Parts: sequence; structure tokens; C-alpha cells
Amino acid sequence: MDVIAYLAPLFQLNVLCAIALGTLGGLIIGALPGLTATMGVALLIPLTFGMSPVMGLNMLIGIYIGGIYGGCVSSILLRTPGTPASAATVLDGYPMAQKGQAGKALGMATIASTIGGLFAALVLATLAPQLASVALEFGAPEYFALALFGLTIIASLSGDVLKGAISGLLGVLISCVGADPISGVLRYTFGVSGFASGFSFTPALIGLFALSEVFVQMERLSVKDQTIMTVSGRWPSRQDMIESWGALLRGSLIGTFIGIIPGTGSGTAAWISYNEARRSSKTPEKFGTGYMPGVAATESANNAVCAAALIPLLALGVPGDVVTAVLMGGLMIQGLAPGPMLFQTNPDVVVGIFGGTFIATFFMFVFGMALVPVFSRILMIPRHMLSILIVIFCFIGSFAINLNPVDLYTMVGFGVLGWGMQKFGFSQAALCIALILGPMAESNLRRGLLQTSDDVVAFASGPVTQFFLVLTVLSLAWPYIAKIRARRRAN
Amino acid sequence: MTKRTLLATALVAVSMTGPAFAGFPDRPIQIVIPYSAGGSTDLSMRLLAESFKRNVPGATMVVRNQPGGGGSIGTSATIHARPDGYTLGAGAQGPLALMPHLGGTDYQIQDVDYVGMMSRSLQLLVACKGAPFSTYDAFMTYAKKSEPQIGNSGAGGANHISAEAFAKAAGIKVKSVPFGGSSKARTACIGGHIDAMVASPAEALAQSQAGNMTPLFVMEDKRIDLFPDTPTAVEKGVNFTWSSWKGLIAPKGIPDKDMKILRDGFAKAVADKKFQEQMKEMGELTQYEDAVMLKARVQKDSEAAESVIRDLGMYGMNK
Repeated sequence: MDVIAYLAPLFQLNVLCAIALGTLGGLIIGALPGLTATMGVALLIPLTFGMSPVMGLNMLIGIYIGGIYGGCVSSILLRTPGTPASAATVLDGYPMAQKGQAGKALGMATIASTIGGLFAALVLATLAPQLASVALEFGAPEYFALALFGLTIIASLSGDVLKGAISGLLGVLISCVGADPISGVLRYTFGVSGFASGFSFTPALIGLFALSEVFVQMERLSVKDQTIMTVSGRWPSRQDMIESWGALLRGSLIGTFIGIIPGTGSGTAAWISYNEARRSSKTPEKFGTGYMPGVAATESANNAVCAAALIPLLALGVPGDVVTAVLMGGLMIQGLAPGPMLFQTNPDVVVGIFGGTFIATFFMFVFGMALVPVFSRILMIPRHMLSILIVIFCFIGSFAINLNPVDLYTMVGFGVLGWGMQKFGFSQAALCIALILGPMAESNLRRGLLQTSDDVVAFASGPVTQFFLVLTVLSLAWPYIAKIRARRRAN
Repeated sequence: MTKRTLLATALVAVSMTGPAFAGFPDRPIQIVIPYSAGGSTDLSMRLLAESFKRNVPGATMVVRNQPGGGGSIGTSATIHARPDGYTLGAGAQGPLALMPHLGGTDYQIQDVDYVGMMSRSLQLLVACKGAPFSTYDAFMTYAKKSEPQIGNSGAGGANHISAEAFAKAAGIKVKSVPFGGSSKARTACIGGHIDAMVASPAEALAQSQAGNMTPLFVMEDKRIDLFPDTPTAVEKGVNFTWSSWKGLIAPKGIPDKDMKILRDGFAKAVADKKFQEQMKEMGELTQYEDAVMLKARVQKDSEAAESVIRDLGMYGMNK
């Protein structure tokens, strides 16, 4: 069998070691706020110059998978998304840690990441060429409709619809800063050249969630309630697993689908999955208070994106997200041109990557579970010292990404904004979603209208576009539909 | 052995050990890359840094990514760095030759000093999947009656300007569709959402073998090896060539003797065989030009771009 011959090189000791090392390194990089999976892969590409393609690429994939998973650690423990992919994990992960269930939250995140990762890897290995064509269906109108659908999450995520809408619109407004996506004109930069590409996303996120939380904690320091935090064991109970099962499955599916569509990424997948888990739950009010399916939904989705994003890369030569775009550079350095021909010219590499994805996911599970007790002990550090550490990490992380001092002002500014929002009951999550999806909606709406010469009917004529537009309407109307159904049932 | 040679030997020995006498460079040279890690500029520069280390004894080069603003932020950081020879930058066509015309940069091309050019990126115009044309002539016929949609990696970027420059030279009208980066434009092209785009030979080769792209013409004055059957615009009677390049730039005012060490070292690093092989695998065409030639090239590109940018009404729009 060819496949077995192609898989054999994976099980050499040095290749396994490279994958394990990459996964562990990625895990740590992901857990440190400001160091993203993208950076980890990019910085280690030169190391792979001298390796065989299968070894080098799988090490990079290990970093990718480990990095996306690692982001959940600081999200759960410190309310600091380690990578943008884990921003949504903050919503339920952090409250769980506050309730003394840090170990369980991390354990569930690890299990969810593994399930999502394995599901997508399975899809990658079996259906890559067939599914890759989905990636090509998405033109500007389709992306716009998808972004619009994603934006409806804002309405259901924030209890107070008006305040949620204000937060969301503020996010869209903030995302307008920087170069206009179509004409290139600089908007709202006030002559500061550092803002030429807008507010950097990761520093904004760190400020919005982490620094703002430090401010809130500081207010509480004066009130004397210094309880030592407890951390639970790492394995979720049977009851937890039964409750989370639906969220896991849905998250894996959504993550895989979003991963295949180029240019969307794990952040979007996590938010959509969270919202779907909440919508379909029998107890939606528990979400946001430290509810395990919330963690299961986001982490299964963002790790499913990893393997799924490899589908268009390997089958079409089209990277599914930013990290896979960097991986493409790694492939090309090995003298391999990613694209439809790769399956014919280098089946050994393709099969090797399929296998490596499984192995890296396995290592991620082992390392993750082994490190949960170590990580959760971070919470034993006294509150005031932990706060100082978080502040230091906020600054280092924000600066490390682009080495742009303007990013530090961004981080602090968003920290103050986030603190104010939290204090007056505005949803930070809504702002975060708008920062991700606002630019996607704007640029694709305008690009699409440019292509159709401002013909709105032609713009909205595609079946995929219409599908998502209908979903958008349904999603907005859902609370009313649910209410009417409940009333009928009551009668 | 005379006293004089002894003295000279002693002096040399002292100058080699004492830090005060150590020659340039005695610490790592930093290269600012104005793009994110992992892109083609970043990877080429990392290869160059390794080659520099191999070829200039005692020298080390480290890269630092400072992305943003289409490359203008990192380029500005290089130009305004202390001119001690320890901060250099990756020079690219967009931020140097094009962006100053749009306004919004805090530098002009006369503020830059050059170390040399290491590679040139050839470009082709390709027809996308499902486009209503697949040859140069069919493209021109189509363009005479309706505007073909040509994707680019961003408004005011290198391949936006080159597509418009061709349209101007050929006397046709095109509709430029900007995307956020070249990989998104390529995705749209393979999916048939645009008619044509500017592509590199390496990406065009893989995709044309799969039938997703069809090369229309090469933006060189002679046909190229990878595409022997694809015509140039010049042979079709349109006076148009365009290529992008990568080089090493520096802030003005580096002491002459240090600059000479850098330029000589750079020339050696580019001539390095392993470096050239690695660049070739990435689809880059290694080509060395010294500082004077590169300066002239940037000047020429800048002038060509200025007239196109003025025609598009984008001149000074970000002032």
C-alpha cells in the first residue's frame, strides 16, 4: 500500500521529536499573550530549511495546532486571549476559573480542541479535494453575507439589545480607522503614520479584555476579599460531557466549514460556534456565567479550523487563514508549489501532512492534559502580584507583534475603553466581534458593488449569498419566533 | 625580521583583540523588514542574512519585522534610523517608488541610501478561471468593448499601478478590483470572481498547469524560460515592461568605509551559490545590481508610477 509507505517516515524518532517539540513550543507561544501562532510559525520557518519536507512542515503544523490551543490557557486563567482565536473562550472560561473550576475549564478546552482537531483532520484526510471547491464559491457578495450573519451574534450575545448594538456599532466605527480598503485613502488617522493600517487587532484585544480586567481587579483590591482561589481537577464529569456533547459536535462542524473558506480564520469560527451553542441550548441563560459547553463550543471550533485551513492550501494552493499563508512560504522554500498538482507530484508530502496533523493533535492532547495542573497553579499567585504580571504581559505582548510603539497606546486606550464598557454594562464581546467582522463586511460589500457597477440585485443574486442573508434574517428574528412558540406551547 | 614589521604585527594583533580597535561590524546588523514574517520579502531577507553570515567573517545579521501601512512604517523606521550601519532595511518597490506619491509617508526617495539589489520579481498578466479570453489578442479585443476586472493586492500597491500602467500604455480601460493582500486576489482569481490579475511566474506556473490560470503576457522585454510560448507586451507593439525587486536600503549618512564593507559583503552574499539555489526554489530570480544601478532603477520606477498615480487621481491623496 502506498499510503503506509508514505506514512512510515512519520514514525522515525527524529520526525516524532520534531512534531512533539513544535507542538509544545506552539502551546507555550500560544499561551503567552501577544505571541500568536502566526508569529511562531513564521519565526521557525528558517529552522526547517535543512529538514526534509515532511519533517519540517509537520513541525510547523505542530506549532500551528499547539499555538491555537495554547491561546485558551491565558483566556481561561487571566482573561487575556493568548491568541485572537481564543477571545471567545474568555466568556465562559474565565468565570469558570473564578468559580474555582480552572482545572476543569482547561481540561474541557483540551478535550474540545482535540475533538475539533481530530474531526477536521479526518475531513482533511478523506475529503480534501472534494471540499476544496467550496472555498472557491466565495466571492465578495458571499463573504459580505457571511460577515453580516456573523454580526447578528451581537444582538443575541448582549442581554441589553440597545447597549449591544451601541457596542457593535462602536466596533465597526473603530475598525474604519486606517487605509480605506478600496480607495487606499487614509481615514481617521489624524496624521499619525503608525495608524496607517488601523488599530492593530491583537493589542486592541489585549487591552479590551486583559488590561480592563486588571482595572476592575484594582478597584476590588481595596475591598478586603482576598480569598485564595481553588483549582479543580482536570477531567470534566460525565454530566459535563453529556451537556457539552452538542456544543462539541457543532463546534467541530462550524470550525471545519469556516476553516475551508479562505480568509476567515479561527476567531470568526469560535464566535459563530459559541453563538450557535447558546442558541440551541435549553439553558441559554447559563452561557457567560462559567458554563462548560461555552468553552467546548469555542475551543472545538478554533482547533477544527487548523486542519480545515490546510484543505484549500493543499488542494488549491489557496491559504485558508493567515497562518496557512505563512505555511505556504514554508512549502515553497522546500521547492514544493502548493496547488492542485501537489497531490499528483508529491503524494508522499501530502499524505505525510495528513498523518502529521493527527500526530500533532495527539501530542497537543497529551501535553495539554499534563500541563493543566501546572498552568492552573498560576492562579495561586496572590491577586495583586498576578495583576502586575498581567500588566507587564499586556505591554510586552502588544509591542512584540509589530514593534510599533503606537500599538502600546492602542492597548492602553482599549484597556480604558473596556473598563468603562464593563462598568456601564456594554458588551466587550460585541465590540470584539465587530472589530473582526466589520472590516470583512465593509470591504466585501464595496468590492462586490464595484464589480457589479453598483447593481444591488446582481450583488445579492448568488445562492450562497441568499442562503446567508436568509440565515441573517432568521437569526435576528429568532428571539421573537422563540417567544411566539413558547406562548403557543403555554396555551 | 625588522623592527618595523614586528611593530606592525604587534599593532595588528592589538587591533584584533582590543574592542576599541575592532572594525565594523562588531555587533549584529539589524534588517528592518516592513512586512509580516513569512512573506516572500521576509523569507528572502532571512536567506540573505544567513548568506551574509557565511560570506562576511565575523558579521551577523538579524531581521526584525515591522509591518503596517503597506510597508511604509518599517521603511520609515529604516530611513530614520541612526546611520551607524547597524540598522538597514529591506527595500521594496511599493513603499519606496509608489507610496510617497500617494502622500502619507514621512520620507521621499531622495532620503534613502542603497546597499544593492538582490532579486527581481518578474510579472505576468494572467487570465483567471472562466475568463472570456485566454490569449493576449483575445484579451485586447475584449478590453476594447468592455472593461476587464483586474484584481490587485491593494489600492496604490505595486500590482495595481502596474496593471493601470499597462492599460495606459495599451490604450485600454480596465476596472481595478483591490483585495487585502495578494493571496486573497489569487483566491478570487482561481474561483473565477475576477477576469485577470498580475501574478509571479512561480504562482502562475503551478496554477496554469492545473488549468486555473492562463498566462496572457509577460511584463519583460524578452520572453522568459518558464513560459516560452507566452508573448511579451513589447513584441505585441505595446511599449510596456514592469518588474518588482528586492534590495537592501540604509539611512543616509553611514560612514563611507563602513558602507563599503556592507556593499561588498552584500555583493558576496548575493553571489553565494547556496543562497541562489534557495532563492530559486522559492521562485525568486536572483539578480545583483550595485547601489548606483538600484538608485537609478528606483528613480525610473518612481517616475513611471507618478504619472499613472496622477492619472488615477490618487496623487497626494493622503497628504
